[in-house]
Amino acid sequence: MLSEFDHFKRSPFKIFSLLLYTMAIIYGCQNGYTLYKKHNLEISNIKTKISDSQSKMMKTFDDIESGSIEKPRRDPTTPYWAVRNTSTYSFKYPSKLMVFSIGQAEQYGYYKYITNWSTVFDEDLAHEIANPERLAIGTIDFNFIFLYLTPILLIILLFNIGGLEKDLKFENLILLNNISKNWWIFSRFSFYYVLNSILIICCLLFYVFRLEFDEANFNYFLNLFFIICIYLLCWFAIFYTINIFGNGSLDQSIKMVSIWLIFCIVIPGSIHQASSIKYPTNYMLDYLNVSREKSNEIFSLSSDSLNKKLMNSYKFLKSSTHAKDSIVSKSIINRSVSAIINDLNKNVNYQIESKNEKKNKFINSFNIFNPVTFCQNKINKIAETDYYSYKKYRFQIQSKIDDQINMILLDTWNKIKINKIKYLQYIDELK
Amino acid sequence: MIDIIINEWTKFLRNSVFVYLNVFFIFSLIFVVYLGILQNNSQETNRKIVEDEVREQWDNLEPMNPHSAAHYGSYAFKPMNLLNGLDGGVNDITGNVIKLEGHVQNEILFSEASQSLSISKFGKLKSSILLQIIIPLIIIFLGYSSIINDKKTGVLKLLVVEGLMLRKIIFGKSLSIWLYGLLLLFLTIIIQIFSTSSFESLNRLILIIISYSLYYYILAGLAVYFSSIFKNNTTSLSIVMCLWIVWTIFIPKLWGNTVEKVYPLPSRQVFKDNMKEERSKGIDGHNPYDKRRDILKEKFLNQYNVDSLSQLPINFDGIVMQADEEYGNQIWDKYFGKNYHILEKQKKLFQISGIVNPFSSLQSLSMGFAGTDMMHHLDFLKSAEDYRRYFIKELNDQHAYGGSKTGDWKWTVDSLYFRSVKKYDYKSAKIFDKINYYSLDIICLLLWFVAVNSLIFFINRKKNIL
Repeated sequence: MLSEFDHFKRSPFKIFSLLLYTMAIIYGCQNGYTLYKKHNLEISNIKTKISDSQSKMMKTFDDIESGSIEKPRRDPTTPYWAVRNTSTYSFKYPSKLMVFSIGQAEQYGYYKYITNWSTVFDEDLAHEIANPERLAIGTIDFNFIFLYLTPILLIILLFNIGGLEKDLKFENLILLNNISKNWWIFSRFSFYYVLNSILIICCLLFYVFRLEFDEANFNYFLNLFFIICIYLLCWFAIFYTINIFGNGSLDQSIKMVSIWLIFCIVIPGSIHQASSIKYPTNYMLDYLNVSREKSNEIFSLSSDSLNKKLMNSYKFLKSSTHAKDSIVSKSIINRSVSAIINDLNKNVNYQIESKNEKKNKFINSFNIFNPVTFCQNKINKIAETDYYSYKKYRFQIQSKIDDQINMILLDTWNKIKINKIKYLQYIDELK
Repeated sequence: MIDIIINEWTKFLRNSVFVYLNVFFIFSLIFVVYLGILQNNSQETNRKIVEDEVREQWDNLEPMNPHSAAHYGSYAFKPMNLLNGLDGGVNDITGNVIKLEGHVQNEILFSEASQSLSISKFGKLKSSILLQIIIPLIIIFLGYSSIINDKKTGVLKLLVVEGLMLRKIIFGKSLSIWLYGLLLLFLTIIIQIFSTSSFESLNRLILIIISYSLYYYILAGLAVYFSSIFKNNTTSLSIVMCLWIVWTIFIPKLWGNTVEKVYPLPSRQVFKDNMKEERSKGIDGHNPYDKRRDILKEKFLNQYNVDSLSQLPINFDGIVMQADEEYGNQIWDKYFGKNYHILEKQKKLFQISGIVNPFSSLQSLSMGFAGTDMMHHLDFLKSAEDYRRYFIKELNDQHAYGGSKTGDWKWTVDSLYFRSVKKYDYKSAKIFDKINYYSLDIICLLLWFVAVNSLIFFINRKKNIL
């Protein structure tokens, strides 16, 4: 291993490549760090806005109670408008590990304004305004550098191990010294394995300390490091096999590049294409139908029919004040319709998520042939920037929509007048 | 020169491994192109089914107030561009559906990338991956040792002694490798031609051929040039490979990020807040207490010489809605216009990287000529917004002048009227209308072409033969 260090010292090209790689890792982590900070800043700005809006609302309540203003057209003393004025948002707080993998974070929104009419596929959940060509080309983050460029660095570092000796035809001279060829190449490879691992961990630890990881995050970081070690080991094993059976530096380098092409471009690209053919882009027709056609059908129903529908779906309404009235109040029903639409949306969401799940299963079924994508998604998962983290976020949004609807139904049907205290209670419950 | 090319091709064909690998590669290429076409067609069929269903719902609407119909809205589905099967460009990450309705301009939603786990960082295995990544690598492998081997065997000296100029040998070898790339390129394009019949697609395919041909020549020329100036294969290969990695992987991503930092786009929150604030200064179509509405009311009462809205022969509500809409359109033009301007500036700055990276120029031209780049995407968004304006104005005019009176929200129009509203039909922009956007890319590729030729032309004969 030490003699390999001497070799390494004498190869300016290898040193330059390693330096470039280190800079790329730092650049990648810095990109993740910038995005992490940007998300937090945006969330914090929105929170300030929420707080301002809620303060204004509380002043409105004070003014209404003191009689200094008339009730606005959208009367906040009704549960419907009081809930609508809670300025409820749902956030997907970035994980500190996002620094290491931006993953799919740029394809989804991370904050959403929530009302009783919201859905988990609303337009404000689309990704941030960004240059689509930049998104298509992709971002350099640690995940990308590590998974796609580490093998290239390894090719540069390892292609002539054992190969140079064959090129210069003194391989047999070395083997004459009672050295096992496998062991000789293995120990030279070990140097680069250790060097690479130390380099990566040092770069990553810098960000671990910079962001002051807590215990939970540190455990995730250890998982990440485990994946890094295994992934490196796999590439070293492949390149080791190539060098053992190689016929010189050129032969080895061409084989290494071909393997990289197959694992990093051809296989993931083929699976990507196959999944698109088997599961074409979903135009969300079912969702569009609910937001237009089926909603329209609901709006055209009579108050009596809607009343029955609501009481069937929300059993707790049966014991409400309004349920005991002999006449169905049109205004109460109108303010409750969003609950029925929400139920329709939830059914559709379930179907859409199931379709997406089938596609994901299809993608995952190739994991054994597609280790790069497998590791990519594992790292994204650790950094909470994968599809499933955003699916979880969609559930969180849905749960807040449900909460708002339940509040509106319960208090509207019980004809509760909202004052400042009750409004604060809403805010607290929707936090 | 022709002798050199024939000689090089004879050498290629004598190598049985090369021949077998090529046969395999050509079959793979045909298969990949076919899959690209298949995927494109299946996506397009799906889109048409959804589009027809949505239109059918519109055509068969129950009698409805025109303003309710404006809220019911319509959808614009992004069509798969002409040559999406060849180069998907931005299509995987942009959304595919926009809801077109009254009062608001919605964003395009439901991108393919957001519907599953992340798969390939280099995109689907389409012709563009083979043409931009794999074939250049083959060109590099064919070129990096072509002169060095002749140097080692003494053939080069012999050729020069016989009167051949070194630059001629380099040109000849470069051309022979370039022709190989061209062969694969033509094969891809010919298969693609079978799936496209329009004149516009043919124009685009010709431009694609020219762009790739230039890039392949630049690569082949550089690989052979490096082979002529270095003494061993390892150095030559390392340098060309490094160049390929930096060009193909590093610079596009690195420069893409930089460009967004130089010309930052606003966050959605800031963007929406600004638009909302500015819009609040206009007429609120749904607020009867709005002061600006009163001014408009006075104007119409004077125009028709009546005292109250009930005496108006038209429905004032439709007028207010359209005034609200037109004010909103101005805001949209201002803010989206700003964003479009930033995006255009970003595109230009990105294209400038073509000076150091011909791959960036090729990538931009490939997407652009395939009709799948950002400029074509923005063209679609603009066309969808234009349609939305037509659609809403049509409904508001019907509301105002269709025969109802102010305040009569129960007045309805039937499906006969709904059917008379034109269908959204997007035709992708013609490439020669958009060619200006790509002039920088074309200039950069041409500059590289000249630079590589100059390198070869002014090569130091003595230093590089010995």
